[in-house]
Amino acid sequence: MSARDDEIRRVLAELEVHVAEAEASIAVLKALLADDEVQVEENP
Amino acid sequence: MLADVTGETLRRWREAKGWDVPRMARELRKVARDSGEDVAAHHGLVKMIPQWERGGRVPRERYRLLYQKIFADALGDLSQGMALGTDFALRFAEVRSRAARLPSPDEIKALEAAALARPREAMTPAEIRAVAAQAIAHLHETADKLAELSALLGEDGPGADESGEDEPGTSPVRTSDERA
Repeated sequence: MSARDDEIRRVLAELEVHVAEAEASIAVLKALLADDEVQVEENP
Repeated sequence: MLADVTGETLRRWREAKGWDVPRMARELRKVARDSGEDVAAHHGLVKMIPQWERGGRVPRERYRLLYQKIFADALGDLSQGMALGTDFALRFAEVRSRAARLPSPDEIKALEAAALARPREAMTPAEIRAVAAQAIAHLHETADKLAELSALLGEDGPGADESGEDEPGTSPVRTSDERA
């Protein structure tokens, strides 16, 4: 495997981590807002 | 190229778009209509798609061509990354699709503002701001890594923005431009 291939695989792995971290952080924010919706339904 | 694609890959491409099976059937029929081809009725496709995805049946050539039109972007990634192996190509296609579906920094700011609009037991305002800042930072890193990967794979320039998603405005690659 060439050094370029190694580099491509390394960048892909880093990309996957950043996408997963972004998704996780966004999910936290959305979960907070989803709690609001549940509370409105329970206490309209 | 599509002959190399397994049923599992068809399922992953569909799910990466966020489509359920009926939506996939509608998309196939839409592309067929646009190219003047006859295909099975909607309910027939809704039965066939899961069979193709499970590998129980192989789509006929006309359906393979329709898939090829719909998922041209994913196939482009696949072709591009195939030299590095199928696993790499599929991972690349999937992560690019996920990246394209991430909200923009402005949308994350809007989520943050909505989350800060009222006191919360689960998180303090500082924690909420930190999570939003983290999301935006990872979004920027995502854009940078996509550009780096595109350059390494020999795409034309940093414009890895041809993911072909429904909402190009949400592509994190745009965030790079916005920052510039």
